[in-house]
Amino acid sequence: MKNILISGVSRGLGLEITKSLLKKENICVYGFSRAKTKEFEFLKEKNPEKLKWMSYDMSNISDIRNKIFKEFIGLKTPLHGFVNNAAISYDDIITNLNYEPLLKMYKINVFGPMMITKHVIRQFLLHNVKGSIVHVSSISAHTGYKGLAMYASSKGALEAFSKNSAREWGERGIRSNSLVAGFMETDMSSTLSVDQKNRIFKRTSMKVPTTKRSVSETIIFLLSESAESITGQNIHVDSGTI
Amino acid sequence: MKKILELINIVLENRDKVKLEEISESSDLRTDCGLDSLDLAELTVRIEAEYDIDIFEEGVITTIGEILNKLDLEKTDE
Repeated sequence: MKNILISGVSRGLGLEITKSLLKKENICVYGFSRAKTKEFEFLKEKNPEKLKWMSYDMSNISDIRNKIFKEFIGLKTPLHGFVNNAAISYDDIITNLNYEPLLKMYKINVFGPMMITKHVIRQFLLHNVKGSIVHVSSISAHTGYKGLAMYASSKGALEAFSKNSAREWGERGIRSNSLVAGFMETDMSSTLSVDQKNRIFKRTSMKVPTTKRSVSETIIFLLSESAESITGQNIHVDSGTI
Repeated sequence: MKKILELINIVLENRDKVKLEEISESSDLRTDCGLDSLDLAELTVRIEAEYDIDIFEEGVITTIGEILNKLDLEKTDE
């Protein structure tokens, strides 16, 4: 049985990844999110053994070890993968930047995931597991968009953290990659106007949104042993943004 | 001390390194026990799982004696 930890599990991409993972055999998903959606509840009822959930707000950094690793997963349970999917967006032009929302976004997008990664790697070591970590990043860290500087900077930080995690722990067989997602039709991008979205899609080769399916299937591949030689990479799934 | 030796030997074995027959309070974790920084991370995790104490949380530890102090263990053979 392979145990995979996923943040932001109840909707959007997190829900999509969970659905795809549950179709596989011998996978148990440990997911957390602030709240449950109806759709997630339904999925959980259908998979009581393979899907575990806890309510956790990632801006609460001090309880990560106790709540997630000791109580929820349990130190005796080997962990094989971590998908850092949960994130919030703080969109504005830089001249309007405020510290409080910036700090909140960094706690959820960067500091929380870094602390969770610490304990994920420790759990890998405790059980001698060559685990795989996938951070969900964004094309905005590579191609500039007006109003996304703060959000993009948090994803850039994650990508650097991922690359260095790969280098530091590679000799133990532990892998870390960033999945650089293009703009998807999720709640995350729901605040953008149709006009803004169209301008974004025009900058891709395919002129269409990136699908959640393509992103989640690539993440599942990166988690699997088929991706055993892939680490420290930024894998772009972005409708060919060039 | 016995338990710590056991945990160190698990780490050494995982790395295909030579296991230790004995350790003393003055044994240096790096030079005497042959543990590198990643091995020490694994040792910390194994000690934490056993005693619920993160020995490296408040700074660097270099000898077996310092681990025993952190864990408040008797420096005997038990």
